[in-house]
Amino acid sequence: MLLHLLNRSPASSQVPQDALRAMGAHDRLLLIESAVYGAVAPQADLYAALEGRCFALREDLVSRGLVEHCAPWIAMVDMAEFVDLTAQTQRTVSWY
Amino acid sequence: MQNAPLRYAVVVQGGPYSHQAAHSALRFARAVIAAGHRLQTVFFYHDGVYNASRLAAPPQDEPQLREGWQALASEHGCELLVCIAAALRRGLIDEGEAARHGKPAHSLEAPFVLTGLGQLVQAAVDHDRLVTFSP
Repeated sequence: MLLHLLNRSPASSQVPQDALRAMGAHDRLLLIESAVYGAVAPQADLYAALEGRCFALREDLVSRGLVEHCAPWIAMVDMAEFVDLTAQTQRTVSWY
Repeated sequence: MQNAPLRYAVVVQGGPYSHQAAHSALRFARAVIAAGHRLQTVFFYHDGVYNASRLAAPPQDEPQLREGWQALASEHGCELLVCIAAALRRGLIDEGEAARHGKPAHSLEAPFVLTGLGQLVQAAVDHDRLVTFSP
């Protein structure tokens, strides 16, 4: 099981689609930095099928004023939980 | 913490004060230590090598990234490795390389260490986890 670490918004990049195509059935996705723009409707629909294994970094949502608008199928995590996600998965793949 | 401590390596490919990558990497590195894991290596690559400059003088009211990295080395024994090929072509150069290339000054010093890309490969093999932050 891999953790995919994504820092690009689906509104400005094809990289999120590339990451989704590469993900295995049990892999997890963590949205950080500008990728958190994708945690908000309507872009968040892109990740709806990943409910339970899609996460967004809370501090990056807060710094962009989006913390109230995160889609319900995307779980907010703090930095400590980010570390836990990397510990729980065998490898981390960064998409940028 | 429930699980056994893991050995972490962090790769920084973003320059300071230009992209979020270096800030994200430093906060993640601190969180790794706070969680009880061992942050063994930070590898600076591409524009990430600028994080190592001893001549950088950011405004005092902004995050002091280089001091943050140095603190990880002095307080937690973390190795700060700088890719020599990426560094030399960007003017990041230690005293020995400055002398060798006939340069009038050096911009990099301990605890930052110039090293080869092979060390990054070695880090990927030696450590339990490797996490990359890029612009």
